[in-house]
Amino acid sequence: MSLLARAARILLGAIFLWASVTKVPDMAAFAESVANYRIVPPSLVPGVAAAVVGVEIAAGVALVLNVWARAAALVLSTLLAVFTVGLASALARGIDLSCGCFGGNAPATWWTVLRDVVLLLLALGVAISSPPSPVRAPSRPPDPAPAP
Amino acid sequence: MTTFVQMALLAAAGSALGLAANAISPHGVSLRQPVLSAAEAGGGACAMPASAAPVTSAPPPWKAARIGVAEAKGLCDACIAGFVDARGPHEFAHGHIANAVHLPPVGHPEEEAVVAQLRTYPLVVVYDGEYSCAVADDVAVRLRRAGLNDVRVLQGAWPAWVAAKGPASAGMCGVCGLEALAK
Repeated sequence: MSLLARAARILLGAIFLWASVTKVPDMAAFAESVANYRIVPPSLVPGVAAAVVGVEIAAGVALVLNVWARAAALVLSTLLAVFTVGLASALARGIDLSCGCFGGNAPATWWTVLRDVVLLLLALGVAISSPPSPVRAPSRPPDPAPAP
Repeated sequence: MTTFVQMALLAAAGSALGLAANAISPHGVSLRQPVLSAAEAGGGACAMPASAAPVTSAPPPWKAARIGVAEAKGLCDACIAGFVDARGPHEFAHGHIANAVHLPPVGHPEEEAVVAQLRTYPLVVVYDGEYSCAVADDVAVRLRRAGLNDVRVLQGAWPAWVAAKGPASAGMCGVCGLEALAK
């Protein structure tokens, strides 16, 4: 893996680790941000919010440690695609909401959508550049001892 | 192991991790209670529409962390949070969150006693009646300076509480209500 690809993988992992860790102290606020998108039923919002934060942590750690990096990048790509579509949809509907991206109250704008698109491209790039997990060859029984 | 299986395992492990993080979070979300959007809760998100917002040259010096109506109602029902009404005395008299103390931005004649009372709660929720929550932010700043650690502003303000049918009562503030009557 080239130095650039390695740097991109670590950067993406660090960004998501940071984004998720800043949400943990106030999960209730993040759940409200998720609810404000109005794409998840209210009864599912708490579970979805908690799961999103956890998946971000797990994928971030996996990317930084280079364990299942391709799978982690694809998981984050999926999350980013959902974030981007949800955010763009909310903005297009005129919903005034905070992004909830890094645990803050900053209002979401089309610049936030653009940032998500850039991160999505980065995640896809990491997924493409990361080698797939090696497939183990089926274990072969030991050769029989040569006949005397 | 295929990439797809690894993705599924990461998602499952991450979800479990997220639930654990929520359990240890100081402001975790209740998994049993639905979370409504600010619009569905009946109030704004403490943010005026851009067209109605006053033009200001500088942002407010400090904004307190927000708390949603659903979570605040739970804390109110369990009596584990102190509530502070930052509106004017007449608005307070007309209706306020049950057991809320009146603490307008201009100050309270018995402020030290009120702050001492609030100090017995691990969390204090301040609210006003405006979408901007600017008045509540001012009072929250004052309470933070007085040494209260966890002070939050009610998202959606008093209108959101009323819309959510939160417990409320009416009546004058014991001290400053008399002053308001005298004016």
